[in-house]
Amino acid sequence: MRNPLRKRLLRELISEFGKYLVIFLFLAATIGFVSGFLVAGGSMIKAYDESFEKYNIEDGHFVLEEKADEEVISELEKGGVSIYLDFYHEVDVDSDLNKTIDSVLRIFSERTEVNLVCLMEGELPTAPDEIAIDRMYAQNNQIAVNDIIEAGGRDLTVTGLVALSDYSALFTDNGDMMFDAVKFGVAVMTKDGAGAFGPSGLHYSYSWKYKEAPKDTIEEKDKSDNLMKGLAVQAKISGYVPRYANQAIQFTGDDMGGDRTMMIVLLYILIVILAFVFSVTIRHTIVREAAVIGTLRASGYTKGELLRHYLAMPLLVTLLAAIVGNVLGYTVFKFMVAGMYYNSYSLPTYETVWNGEAFWLTTVVPLVIMSITNVISLMRSLSLSPLQFIRRDLSRTKHKKAVRLPNFRFFTRFRLRIIFQNRANYMTLFAGIIFANILMLFGMMMSPLLSHYQDEALANMIAEYQYVLKYPVELESEKAEKYNVTSLKTREEGFEEEAVTVYGIEENSRYVDWDLPETGVIISDGFAEKYKLREGDFVTLREEFGEKQYTFQVGKIQDYPAMLAVFLSAEQYRDVFERKEDDFNGYFSDEKLTEIKEEYIASCITEDDLTKVSRQLTVSMGKMFSMVNVFAVVLAALLIYLLTRLILEQNTGSISMVKILGYRNGEIGRLYLLATTWVVIISIGISLFVSTEIIRLIYREMMKGFSGWLTLYIDSKIYGEMFLMGMAVYLMVALLQFRKIQRIPMDEALKNVE
Amino acid sequence: MFIYSHEEMFIQEEYVNQKGAGKMFLEIHDLKKCYGNNSNKAEVLRGISFTVERGEICVLLGPSGSGKSTLLNIIGGIDTADNGFVSINGEKTAEMKERTLTDYRRKHLGYVFQMYNLIPNLSVKENIEVGAYLSSMPLKIDELLKTLGLYEHRHKLPNQLSGGQQQRTAIGRAIVKNPDILLCDEPTGALDYHTSKEILKLIEEVNRKYGNTVIMVTHNDAIKNMADRVIKLRDGQIRKNYLNEEKIPASELDW
Repeated sequence: MRNPLRKRLLRELISEFGKYLVIFLFLAATIGFVSGFLVAGGSMIKAYDESFEKYNIEDGHFVLEEKADEEVISELEKGGVSIYLDFYHEVDVDSDLNKTIDSVLRIFSERTEVNLVCLMEGELPTAPDEIAIDRMYAQNNQIAVNDIIEAGGRDLTVTGLVALSDYSALFTDNGDMMFDAVKFGVAVMTKDGAGAFGPSGLHYSYSWKYKEAPKDTIEEKDKSDNLMKGLAVQAKISGYVPRYANQAIQFTGDDMGGDRTMMIVLLYILIVILAFVFSVTIRHTIVREAAVIGTLRASGYTKGELLRHYLAMPLLVTLLAAIVGNVLGYTVFKFMVAGMYYNSYSLPTYETVWNGEAFWLTTVVPLVIMSITNVISLMRSLSLSPLQFIRRDLSRTKHKKAVRLPNFRFFTRFRLRIIFQNRANYMTLFAGIIFANILMLFGMMMSPLLSHYQDEALANMIAEYQYVLKYPVELESEKAEKYNVTSLKTREEGFEEEAVTVYGIEENSRYVDWDLPETGVIISDGFAEKYKLREGDFVTLREEFGEKQYTFQVGKIQDYPAMLAVFLSAEQYRDVFERKEDDFNGYFSDEKLTEIKEEYIASCITEDDLTKVSRQLTVSMGKMFSMVNVFAVVLAALLIYLLTRLILEQNTGSISMVKILGYRNGEIGRLYLLATTWVVIISIGISLFVSTEIIRLIYREMMKGFSGWLTLYIDSKIYGEMFLMGMAVYLMVALLQFRKIQRIPMDEALKNVE
Repeated sequence: MFIYSHEEMFIQEEYVNQKGAGKMFLEIHDLKKCYGNNSNKAEVLRGISFTVERGEICVLLGPSGSGKSTLLNIIGGIDTADNGFVSINGEKTAEMKERTLTDYRRKHLGYVFQMYNLIPNLSVKENIEVGAYLSSMPLKIDELLKTLGLYEHRHKLPNQLSGGQQQRTAIGRAIVKNPDILLCDEPTGALDYHTSKEILKLIEEVNRKYGNTVIMVTHNDAIKNMADRVIKLRDGQIRKNYLNEEKIPASELDW
């Protein structure tokens, strides 16, 4: 005979349909989203991984200041590499033909050997005035196939949209903190078409592939270092990027991998919280059914049978949510997540692949978490003797005394008693509010943080234009000021290597008016924050294309959020880098210096460059921030609703009794709901501090993986908004609960407790 | 009085014979039980000893606080004694581990409480199935429902029943596994006169039909008249323990 108690499950489900539906929907949506994330992510990562072979992605590339001789190339190829020409032109673009330059395109001529092109839509160009542009860039600039754009002063017809797998993340420069798919894109043209741009904006880029693939990353690094040493003695290098360090190639894979971990952790935290909600609900049911449980135990039912019975509902709801969630994951959410990735990255086409791991992580693991949490709680709850259940004596301490309360007003004492009585519910509520507020804070702080970063970066900009020159070009102009600049690399344990810009500033500079310290150097505040550097500390950097190391003492920390930077006086700079008296390689200027020929300019840092991080993150993540906010608000509402409902249900008899005594609904509401209001207010208040500290830790870890640093800035008005939002959610729930109080009949107290 | 068909009489005899009526079955020896400690110490049972034969109806009578429910709970293995032992068919419950004790209750004991303790979202029949599940050879449920006078109400939920009907269901749940001992703790405590008599008649009928030993706790003095054995308790001690020579059917009880 099958256990007849199982017949209760369906009835329990029907009688508490609202409660279980809310939990089910929330769980199914979360599991669905995570499943979709893992399925789409897994499929796209597979496509991304396969693209290395499919599109024959380079093992690295270098850019020279001049075209390399055949001899240099053949000498390098003796070192076990094949070298391929991959020259490109970087040209200004007016994409909407409004006579304003709005972006930059890096245009490669047709690629036939390495870094092959994935055509996503339309055709590849066949005529000199045709161009196929990156799909992501096209989307962000509202360019469609057959549109005409102006690039480098020429009108070009867009014949197709493409993805270049060596630019899955559109990084302009490998040292950039963030890619820029709005104002920067890549494109391909025919050889004649690209050649028609002439020497202007031409970059001598060469890709390499190892003839024998390195066994591991150590060997890959060794091979790359050896190639660079060999190259450095034969040519003037302006860029050298092995594949393993190329953000344009690697960032996408790393980011998708990081998102995956974050999503799984979020899912599990949420499942644990919901498991606690279930365990609190079950504990409440056990209290309500204590006499029945006692009778069943006295009749011979084992603890195991009862445990399985009470465990069935949470497992059933979780299982159903997991099944529905996975179906949604493979259908609705997969496209949503794929859309999100396609909004950020220039990925090739993908095919959905069955993801066994996703199924395991979103079905089995949630069930295990739900089981473990509830089994522990149930074992504790059911460990009492049958007699204790029959007598409804469910307290564990034998001679439990009432907590003595100060001589507060009666109502205050009454509410405090409610809080003590329901402390398990309130603890779960507290934990849930903290979790929801961490999510909410994260969702709400990012946009102001990015705006703040942008404002600060612009406010502390040295000059409107920072030219970096290939050759020191003398100018007559008074408006420009010479400076020196070089790029070094960090070498801190626990961090990826990243570029630090080192400036040499002229004495009495018109652009940099900070007082340089007598000893040591100035470092930017982001650099100090990221590496926890203080005044007096020493920091060692190494050459970007060499082994030489430089150690600087931090003399002063300066607000300069735009990048990780070190500022030296011109004299210090020349001394450290052994440069001649009048050496320089850049100009600061507040006006565009038209007198410098394009071919002499290595790069020019403008407002657009400083704001690309905030711009790109807003484009890529803006929707995500809003979704996190909605999710957090729904989670808070769900937890507040479920737990306050439980508190009321637990006190139905008492509420009915005080009604009989003559209390009005309003008074009862003040007694029972105000106690919860206190807890909610205190929880939200505490959670603001706790979530800030937790976000601080998470943010630091998160930013460690980025090049550069965005100072953590939390706009103080966010706290006010979070508090108000939390209270608004609670107010809605409280109104629902007040209606519930009104509906409790007076004869409830007189009924048989069963 | 209940009138049985020939077939029912046969079944009844079979059940009774299986249980071996008339033999010494339950032995209680020098049971002592205290609650609290030091100044709060309350001696609830002060050396209780008696025996009950198989198939007997034994009524434990006494005022509130006399220790009768505690005694019943110790017999049922849901409470423990500080001293003495309970031996059922030669097995001492105090020597049993928790698992064995649960198995023992599962096989041999049926419980009926004053407050019914039915499962609210199971129907009458399903509540009885809850008891049937515990036995490898339960009674036929439909037949039992008819005996209990609940057949017409079998699909109703407990809150659709009167107190008496709920208590009948509770008795059905206890008896369906055909336990050796039926322990009833104030089974009529929450019922009116007429309903109480109906329940007592049912217990009597169950005892006669299935041959279970019935230990019934009550503070209602009149109920002693339907018992085979009467044990009067006061202040944790047996004041009287006698076989009722003038046993009358439950239907003739009056108070």
